[in-house]
Amino acid sequence: MLYLAYVNSVTYEEEASVPLPEGLVLLEDFVSPEEEALLLAAVDWSSTNEDVTAQKALKHRRVKHYGFEFRYDNNNVDKDKPLPAGIPAECLPVLERCLRNGQINVMPDQLTVNQYESGQGIPPHVDTHSAFEDTILSLSLGAKTVMEFRHPDGRVVAVVLPGRSLLVMKSESRYLWTHGITPRKFDMVPACEQQSPDHVTPEPGTCSNLTLSKRGTRTSFTFRKIRPEPCRCAFPSACDSQGAPSTLSPSTPSPPALPCCHADAARLEEEYVHRVYDAIASHFSSTRHSPWPRVCHFLSSLPPGSVLADVGCGNGKYLGVNSEMIAVGCDRSSALVQICAERGFHAFVSDALNVPLRTASCDACISIAVIHHFSTEERRLAAMRELVRLLKPGGHALIYVWAFEQEYNKQRSKYLKDHNKEHNGKENLTKNTSEDRREPHGKSAIQNSGHLEEGYEPVGKVTDGKLSVHTNRTAFNTQDLLVPWHLKEGKKPGEEESGDGVKRNKRKEKSKKVLTNQTRIDSNPGLSPGFDASMSPGLRLDTDDATHSPGSKPSPSGTTQTSSSHLKSESESHLTAVFHRYYHVFHQGELEQLCSQVGGVKVQSSYHDQGNWCVILEKD
Amino acid sequence: MKLLTHNMLTSHVKGVTKGYPLLIKATEVKVNEVEFNPQFVSRMIPKLEWGALVQAAEELGHRQDLPGELVQDYEKNEDFLKKVHRVLLEVEVIEGCLQCPESGREFPISKGIPNMLLNEDEV
Repeated sequence: MLYLAYVNSVTYEEEASVPLPEGLVLLEDFVSPEEEALLLAAVDWSSTNEDVTAQKALKHRRVKHYGFEFRYDNNNVDKDKPLPAGIPAECLPVLERCLRNGQINVMPDQLTVNQYESGQGIPPHVDTHSAFEDTILSLSLGAKTVMEFRHPDGRVVAVVLPGRSLLVMKSESRYLWTHGITPRKFDMVPACEQQSPDHVTPEPGTCSNLTLSKRGTRTSFTFRKIRPEPCRCAFPSACDSQGAPSTLSPSTPSPPALPCCHADAARLEEEYVHRVYDAIASHFSSTRHSPWPRVCHFLSSLPPGSVLADVGCGNGKYLGVNSEMIAVGCDRSSALVQICAERGFHAFVSDALNVPLRTASCDACISIAVIHHFSTEERRLAAMRELVRLLKPGGHALIYVWAFEQEYNKQRSKYLKDHNKEHNGKENLTKNTSEDRREPHGKSAIQNSGHLEEGYEPVGKVTDGKLSVHTNRTAFNTQDLLVPWHLKEGKKPGEEESGDGVKRNKRKEKSKKVLTNQTRIDSNPGLSPGFDASMSPGLRLDTDDATHSPGSKPSPSGTTQTSSSHLKSESESHLTAVFHRYYHVFHQGELEQLCSQVGGVKVQSSYHDQGNWCVILEKD
Repeated sequence: MKLLTHNMLTSHVKGVTKGYPLLIKATEVKVNEVEFNPQFVSRMIPKLEWGALVQAAEELGHRQDLPGELVQDYEKNEDFLKKVHRVLLEVEVIEGCLQCPESGREFPISKGIPNMLLNEDEV
């Protein structure tokens, strides 16, 4: 027999009252219920259809901008590209009220509307100094919420924002404290609403009980004024204009967050997929000359004269496998397509989301290690739909994506094995990966939606919702990540160096290093997509993250250096370029689940192949 | 870009319904020597849009005496197959562009490679 008991409120003791952050003012009942309804109705969510669907698919809060678009990839505003729609006229009465009352001196010119459903939030952040002027106004509509302010010294102040209240952030509360809303379905709020319940720790002597408050759907209207000149605030430690290390800088952009709309997704993929492949194309191609046997099998079993489309063909590795088929390839990287052309293959440059081939024109399609580069589920689905569109009825598509589960049936993929070969005796890693095999970490499994209440979007170790950098050749602990690619620019082994004995010794060491690389790499042909490291001799290429020792956590600099490329100098005095490629690695079953959403197609077979999840689809 | 590729490509500009075949405007054309495989060519023919191939060859000035209609029993007609082979696999557009017949949008061909990427607003 199970008894359930509940209480209305809980006693909450606090030694002294906690004041609001400096510069923060909360004005309740700032708009009437009628005004609230009018403002909510003024937002046309349908006009941002694609983005809204992507946001829904990601269980994200919905976002819409007016005046200027705030970009989440670089956390700034494109001041030269005003949006067609300015602040809606319905907002003017409220803003004029703010002007009259002196909350602001100038009319804002940017509005961001955020809609939070119960369970959604926004990670703690400081609004970019260089983007916006001091005063920021935030109107809470539809429901109340609790916003947490955090000071660098560790102080946390939780502020209840009632519905129809206006929050004015200025000075320290705007420039130095971060603010965020924890994704939750319930908040702890003071039980007695009559006393000014503007924050959780009321004045001594007043009601000090807390109760659970269920969240409703809250829509915030955040009004800001674009800052035309660099910021000269009194808080340089948090100021991007004044070079704060923790903020954005042009040469090392802060790590991206998972995109919530197509535009952001396209930008992320441009930076962390397309630009990288174009830059590393020739080296990438040289590590991609071993076609995978099971893909070859699929291709070889096609009837002679079959028309094949290879979407995301890379360097054309598969275009020549079956000489009896009519194969055409396309890739997003012109540099890679150039290599196809040099090899005499038929190829063109195009995007996998929009392939310029006629519907039902192909007997078969393949897409090997491509779809995992799309950064939203909607785009991955769209890529799959394109593949299916190309197929004739009865045609087959083969899709390979990188698997989250690198170990399968107690077989470690070569991607992981290779790592352990180098580091015998380090047991820790083995233990970790065998545990990781069955349980993807709660925080990282998108399917475990229950965990969304605990933390932010499951994007990895860094808990502010940003993508983390993966340590090469270790098990994955998150689905969305950036994978390093090291490009060493250096002398080929055996090349003469001018001069003396010292340099000759150096050269010997370099040659040794290269031989070591080659030995390790050559013994493992056909690795997982990121690390197929069979190399032609003479080319120095280390695809490992050489700066991190295995099993250890990446150094702090490792996790924050997530520009798509940057140069590091090494002790051998030549430069290593590091590129980061975005991947969404798939869970077991996720690929099939995606297929089931396509329609007109069925999964003929699915399997695990060397660290990849694979499906063969048949079109009805 | 060889004419085999051209035969498969279509305009995918948003809203276009008659995007095939793309018009070819070539500024540099090359003819390569490619090994002739009659069986392969024979198998390709049923997969082609014959009219589009002839039109493309015409546009490049390389049609020669390629017939407007498919001949009967082409499988054994080595002469015919050689003509098809030449036009399909040996003639190559190095520089120029492909034009959508409906919207007029041009897709550049550079170093033999057509770039079919669309802008954000065309998708």
